[in-house]
Amino acid sequence: MFDKTVTDNYHDKIALQVREARKDFGKVPVLKGINLEIQVGERVALMGPSGSGKSTLLNCICGIEPLDSGEISLGGNSLSNLSNHELDKLRREKIGYVFQSFHLLPTLSAFENIEFSAQLVGIKKNQRLELVSHLLERVGLSNRASHFPDALSGGERQRVALARALIHKPRLILADEPTGSLDTANGNQVLELLKSLSEEHGVSLLLVTHDHTSTQICDRVITMKDGNLEIF
Amino acid sequence: MKRLPTVFKLLWLLFSITTFRHFRAKVGHYFLLVAIVAVGVGAFNGIRQASRAASANFGLFNQAVSGRSDFLIESPSQRILESSLLDLQILNEDPDWHLVPVIEGSITTLGEDKNPEKQIRLIGLDLLALGNLPNVLEQNLEFAEKDDKWHEWLGSERDVWIGRKGAEALGAQVGDEIPILASGRRMKMKIRMILDDPDGNLPEDLALGDIPTIQNLLSRKGEINRVEVILDQIEKREDLEYLKKIENRLAAVLPKELILGPTENRAAERAAMTAAFRLNLSILSLIAILVGAYLILQALDAAVVRRRVEIATLRSLGIDRSILFLAYLLEALLLGLLGSIAGIGVGYLLAFASVGMLADTVNALYFSTSIEALTITSLDLGIGIGLGLVFSFLAGWLPARDATQTPPAQILARGDWSPGFSLLKNPKIGLSLIAVGILSLLLPPFVMEGGSNMPLGGFIAAGCWILGLAFLSGHFLVLIAGWMRPLCITPSSRLACSRLQDGSSRHRLAVAGLVVAVGMVTGMFQMIDSFRGTIQEWFEVRFQADLYVSERGVTGAGNLNGIDPELMDELLSDSTIRFADVMHLCYAKPKTGITILAGVDLDAWNDRVQQIWLKPPGSLKSREGVEPALISEAFARRFDLLEGGVMELDLPSGRKSISPYGIFSDYGNEFGTAAIDSETWKSWTGSRRPVNASLYLKDEFEVNAARDRLRVAFPGLDVRNGKELREVALGIFEQTFKATDALSLIGLAVAFAGLLLGLLSIFDESNRTWQTLRHLGFSTRQFLWSASFEGAGIGLTAWVSGSIAGLAMGWLLVHVINVQSFGWTLIWNIPIGEFLLFGILLIGVGFFSGFISANYWNFRRK
Repeated sequence: MFDKTVTDNYHDKIALQVREARKDFGKVPVLKGINLEIQVGERVALMGPSGSGKSTLLNCICGIEPLDSGEISLGGNSLSNLSNHELDKLRREKIGYVFQSFHLLPTLSAFENIEFSAQLVGIKKNQRLELVSHLLERVGLSNRASHFPDALSGGERQRVALARALIHKPRLILADEPTGSLDTANGNQVLELLKSLSEEHGVSLLLVTHDHTSTQICDRVITMKDGNLEIF
Repeated sequence: MKRLPTVFKLLWLLFSITTFRHFRAKVGHYFLLVAIVAVGVGAFNGIRQASRAASANFGLFNQAVSGRSDFLIESPSQRILESSLLDLQILNEDPDWHLVPVIEGSITTLGEDKNPEKQIRLIGLDLLALGNLPNVLEQNLEFAEKDDKWHEWLGSERDVWIGRKGAEALGAQVGDEIPILASGRRMKMKIRMILDDPDGNLPEDLALGDIPTIQNLLSRKGEINRVEVILDQIEKREDLEYLKKIENRLAAVLPKELILGPTENRAAERAAMTAAFRLNLSILSLIAILVGAYLILQALDAAVVRRRVEIATLRSLGIDRSILFLAYLLEALLLGLLGSIAGIGVGYLLAFASVGMLADTVNALYFSTSIEALTITSLDLGIGIGLGLVFSFLAGWLPARDATQTPPAQILARGDWSPGFSLLKNPKIGLSLIAVGILSLLLPPFVMEGGSNMPLGGFIAAGCWILGLAFLSGHFLVLIAGWMRPLCITPSSRLACSRLQDGSSRHRLAVAGLVVAVGMVTGMFQMIDSFRGTIQEWFEVRFQADLYVSERGVTGAGNLNGIDPELMDELLSDSTIRFADVMHLCYAKPKTGITILAGVDLDAWNDRVQQIWLKPPGSLKSREGVEPALISEAFARRFDLLEGGVMELDLPSGRKSISPYGIFSDYGNEFGTAAIDSETWKSWTGSRRPVNASLYLKDEFEVNAARDRLRVAFPGLDVRNGKELREVALGIFEQTFKATDALSLIGLAVAFAGLLLGLLSIFDESNRTWQTLRHLGFSTRQFLWSASFEGAGIGLTAWVSGSIAGLAMGWLLVHVINVQSFGWTLIWNIPIGEFLLFGILLIGVGFFSGFISANYWNFRRK
């Protein structure tokens, strides 16, 4: 059922559309009528000071936080029309998420962390093993496949997280300060990978960052301030 | 020293700005926690009070009438012939004391349906003499409405006095004739008067009478039980020097076959008889405190997890580890203190609810008893609160230690820090505990005051092995999860299995707590099953007679009331009987404690009467010139006669020696029985009273028809066939284990509550993992499945490790603790069906615990 509503109606050109999105936490307005469109394959950097509402916007886009008003559409499908179950399905099939603190599952190896996302969307075992091996090679971690997160460096963990976000071929990657916990060299390496992999897979990217250099991999930059979006 | 005030100030600051605020924010949660400790401490207090009230009536029943006595003159068999009283006459002439002869025994009232209804203790006193002792009596009971009527009851054959409570219980009024069974005869006792007893000192199951009346009712003409000595100068009762002088004077003129001792000795002897029983109950009830402590540990641990950021922030602000450690330890102590205080009330309620059940057990196993009013002594309060505090302290230790290991906020924020409990990850501790347990088995049993043995090494081994296996269970968890991992194909099960295989300290703690409960409960399963199996086998072999005869109505394996010998002679003259194995029993005094001397037909025991022989007759060589005896295993173990020897026993006719030539199994009592030839028994004890008889009928007579006929002919006797006897015995057996079952259930229930708390704590600590999974599209349903699998995995591991611990417990209980405590060899039965069922139950409960905790966690998060 979800495939019908989400996949069949998916817009050919617009990956993400946010219209008049509003969200308050208690009496504090966090999103004050955001409008945003990201095209398929487009990479957009979202900047803004702390507390401007960036993370809330990401959470709303992936359906974890519901909007108070307005609409968010992924591939032409309005999130507000989807049930919790369909939202879960949308997240695991159409979105890839990269966190600042990597958030790998500590009890799974690098290989298993990547494979887990593929398993969640039901990719057959042989195919997913092939995909994981390919991605591990692509992020330069074939020799670290069996290592657990606590045995990996920060840069390695983020590369695993990147592979995990891409394995199920999502339409949109949401990256929340992916280089925030890394040194410059590792940060650059991750950014390069993010760019090249998103290009290879034709994935749209919404990159939240504080770092101006990170925005270089993006097609455009937008800024949030006090719950409003300023587009340059 | 300067640091101390600073520490207190900081502690107070921490308590006021954090701990108390957490208390206020979660009043219900902390209330529940205090309630759990209260139940744990209450169970211990309750069992202690109830077992004391249920078995405390070793005090002298007649004290309500004659007041406190100072010394007792007794015979080793607790029966004195009136002819011996003549020897005491010289004592009676001394103005410093008064002698009060007492006879006591049990009878049973009959209901309207003529079936036994209520067991009553009969006390016979020289009421006339007591009337002349107003200055020394502490009670002031009027035995006649008008003093000038006292002579009316002199010489009465069946007039008794009862208290107000007794009258209410019997629904009796003055002048009523109550049908009773006494010494195997159906009789009537007449209520002479209902005594005015404003202080309520007279128990409801007590009836008083003049000595000849009670002798008549009990068919024990010319016998009394003891003589009590009351000092004339009651103000000198506490003067030890004076008491010693009096004791020496009494002893100097006392006939040698009688024993003199302070009155307290009798209470102590009776207390010693039930010491092992009460000790076992106390140890069992400690389980309740143990699981209560486990819950405190889990709850405090959960609190540490929830407050991790707060602790890290405090650390960043410069609060050092020791202050944090003290703060968490004090929090545990505060909960323990509140719980222990509440446990006093809970204990009283539990005692009130369970005292009847325990009294029934004491009645069945030891001696006739009646329930005394429940009392709480300052020692009870001290022990209850002390244990609550000690266990809370121990329970608070690990979480407090864990709190101190929390790094400052900046390190915590990095997100790569994993919390402690390193103890649970170190197999050396578990292995060392098991080794200590093995070594402790070399310790000999500790001999208690009454001569019973406490298997000290066995108890230490039990504690060490259970704890050792609890420590090792985390390693089993990792192993089992590793084996299960290839079988897990769904994302939920894979995730659950990977988390279990990771073996976090919290997972290990949850398993360890369950292992303790499972180990103890499965150990109990085995002991009860082994006991039941052994007794059934013993019955098959030992009880092959056609019919069994005993006194009707009076219960208690230790009740040696007996049957009127003339009645027994009459019964044995019945033409249907081919042969009768008549048993006479009396108490006998070894050097310490008390034991039982039986008079039987030894020739019949050697060949006709079947026994389970530990050493068949003749396999031990009895000493020449010493009375040959067959002894029970408990007797042999208690007095170190497994390889034969000579044993001296004090009896009414003086000190006698017996020498065993065979050892038989007997599960009837733990004091031990020595069986000698019945003629010798009669001459040694001066009594002819049999206690029971096994009847072998002539072949031409049908058993049940003979039984029915004998029942009609002897309505005061219980005549049962083998099947009926077995049912009665198994009834007593089930009664014995009621308390054990109840405590096991409490233990299990609290352990499962601990599992729920443990899982909540685990999910709290995995907060970030769940958030990540949500972003990855892991649905709530998948989360619930995963949590349920995790719970089931913990249940499975607890079952496997707990069963190993349980097998070790079973072996210990059957082969060490039972043998040393009671002198009984049991056949070790492992109830495989119950084990498997228990496993399924544990996995199921684990699964649902996971599901419920995850749901609650999810609800709380929202």
